[in-house]
Amino acid sequence: MLEINHYTKRYGDKKAVDDLTLHIAPGEIYGFIGHNGAGKTTTLKACAGILRFDEGEIKIGGINIKDDPLACKKITAYIPDNPDLYDFMSGIKYLNFIADIFEVGEKERGERIKKYADMFEITPDLSQPIASYSHGMKQKLALISAWIHEPKLIIMDEPFVGLDPKASHLLKGMMRSVCDNGGAIFFSTHVLEVAQKLCDKVAIIKGGKLIRSGTMDEVRGDDSLEDVFLELEDDADA
Amino acid sequence: MLKILLKKQVMEIFRMYFYDEKKNKARSKASTIGFIVLFVFLMAGMLGGIFTFLAVSMCGALVSAGADWLYFLFFGAVAVLLGAFGSIFNTFSGLYLSKDNDLLLSMPIPVKYIIASRLLSVYLMGLMYSSVVTVPAVIVYWIKARADVLSVICNILFIAEISAVILILSCALGYVVARVSVKLKRKSYITVLTSLVFFGLYYFVCFKAQSFISYLINNAAVLSDKIKTMSFSAYALGEAFAGNILYMLVASLILAAVIALTIFLISKSFIKTAVLSSEQSRVKHKEKSEKKKSLDSALFCKELRRFTSSANYMLNCGMGCLVLIIAGVAFLIKGDSILSFFEHQFGGFLSPKVMLCAAVCVMCAMNDITAPSVSLEGKSLWIYQSLPVDAFDVLKAKVYVQIVLTGIPALFCTVCACIIAKMNALEWIMTFITVLVSILFFSEFGLILGLKMPNLNWTNEISPIKQGLPPMISVFGGMIFAILIAVGDLIMNGVIPDWAYLALFAVIFFIFFALMYVWIKKKGTQIFKEL
Repeated sequence: MLEINHYTKRYGDKKAVDDLTLHIAPGEIYGFIGHNGAGKTTTLKACAGILRFDEGEIKIGGINIKDDPLACKKITAYIPDNPDLYDFMSGIKYLNFIADIFEVGEKERGERIKKYADMFEITPDLSQPIASYSHGMKQKLALISAWIHEPKLIIMDEPFVGLDPKASHLLKGMMRSVCDNGGAIFFSTHVLEVAQKLCDKVAIIKGGKLIRSGTMDEVRGDDSLEDVFLELEDDADA
Repeated sequence: MLKILLKKQVMEIFRMYFYDEKKNKARSKASTIGFIVLFVFLMAGMLGGIFTFLAVSMCGALVSAGADWLYFLFFGAVAVLLGAFGSIFNTFSGLYLSKDNDLLLSMPIPVKYIIASRLLSVYLMGLMYSSVVTVPAVIVYWIKARADVLSVICNILFIAEISAVILILSCALGYVVARVSVKLKRKSYITVLTSLVFFGLYYFVCFKAQSFISYLINNAAVLSDKIKTMSFSAYALGEAFAGNILYMLVASLILAAVIALTIFLISKSFIKTAVLSSEQSRVKHKEKSEKKKSLDSALFCKELRRFTSSANYMLNCGMGCLVLIIAGVAFLIKGDSILSFFEHQFGGFLSPKVMLCAAVCVMCAMNDITAPSVSLEGKSLWIYQSLPVDAFDVLKAKVYVQIVLTGIPALFCTVCACIIAKMNALEWIMTFITVLVSILFFSEFGLILGLKMPNLNWTNEISPIKQGLPPMISVFGGMIFAILIAVGDLIMNGVIPDWAYLALFAVIFFIFFALMYVWIKKKGTQIFKEL
């Protein structure tokens, strides 16, 4: 579903991400772990078609993002770490705007908006301007907008930040459901317990370089993901 | 504690002198000093100068008519008006809807200190605005009338107490604004409407002020007697300010009681009002079937909503719409006068038909909706960048909004211009085409400026809307282009018929439009993708 081959991104002379290669198959939840400034967001943004990059290639559903970015974006949804949505719109207007862009039919969008808004308990607030939403509500709205067009690949940057425990639980179920239907999830997180329980595969990045990746068992062995992560961080420092 | 809070309040009010929001960093000392000097020059030099001149022209006449009290009452009223208008929005945002309400209320600071610091800052703001009127009035009075001990005391109290009156008025008006604003659904439209009413009133007062002041000076004695018999309290207040110590004592006591009552009422309702923003009137969502839009329509509606959701955006970048409608009506009502004015001023040099077309184009250039539209994406730019939409479609939608919003009133204004100028069919057609192509040109011109000089890191939308270079260059550059229509006509000196001249200009505009279109499609989209 998502192939990242030898991806390199430079900011001036500094390499933010250096020769990263990751392959995410349909049905996989892939966690992306690293300290602040490791290059997670830079990678996710490149996969979402927001950031241009210098070397390597990124393919979504077999399509090279540099060759046909629109085709890639049609089957992808992206949620940034801080969902700055259009404050001047109401929640329902924003969802309809996204549905219009992805050409979601009237019946389907109505059903999906109802389903997810009810699930996240924000239906009564959909007519409010987004400016009045809390961080968590904006995050929920961003999640609904991502799910509204049933993407094949969902890319999320710290999706659990700001969500209440119930919404976090629901999101985990939604992520699994996407994968059960042949989709894939690629997300970054600092919550290692969540990654350990939820992810099929995980990649650890430090200073822009991939230091370990694979299935959860391959990466952590008999230890917890937290222990492995901290150990790898120390090794890389040494 | 109070000193710290007051310092914070004052720093917040004058933040722009110390902090560059556009560059997101502190200003240099030289820049800060420069801004302060400019502010003092504008307030004391310009405004103070105007009121000094006014005081000089009124003082002698009123004092010699024995109406010293009317002199102080007049300047007191002007100061209250200026002070209340000047500080009402600061009071509203500073006293009731401050962003640090939650922070301050969560700290071990007595609420009375928070209120006192905010009231003091409102008082100081009022004093700053009213002093521009009251200080010149008092100094001129001392020089031209009298400066004995009692009058000096009363006059100084006049300066201080006028600010107190402003404080009370600002608190009351600010409270009303705070309560009303959280109930409003269409705040942007109400703000635009209110601002336009204020502008209208302002220009009406300026227009009438001169004749009123002349009337006051020429009929000082008669007016003084009339007001004295009609309202003793107004007379007593004026007397107090002019130097009657007994009246001043009574007035000061009444004012002190009203201030105490104001503080009491604000203290009682402060916490409730301070957290009003979280209690905004909520519209409960009603489920209904959702309507599907085409991609172009969705993008257009989004851009249109961005425009109509912001009073700042509408007032600063869409004023041309209103001006075009007013001009159209004015053409119909005062058409003959306008034409004879053109004939009188430019007869023999310029064609009135070309002048009218140029005038409509100048008014169209007043709309610069596209100029800040790229910068206004701000931190939400990721949405467009991550969606499967072509950057050119997004840019097209921005241009369409300006074309539609300018085109409709321009069409009306052009029809009115064509009617009064008694144009023939060919002239009608060429005038329409020239105006239309100029709108296309201005819309693309603004967009290109926005793409070349984007500012995505703003904290206040007024920064890209009003303070950036693209809107300024777009408006003035567009106007210069439109004025060139008249200049060209002057050079051509009637060598070719009006319709042919307009056709020539339409072609020139169209060539520029086509070149810019190609640039936007090739380079502009690339710039937008890489922002």
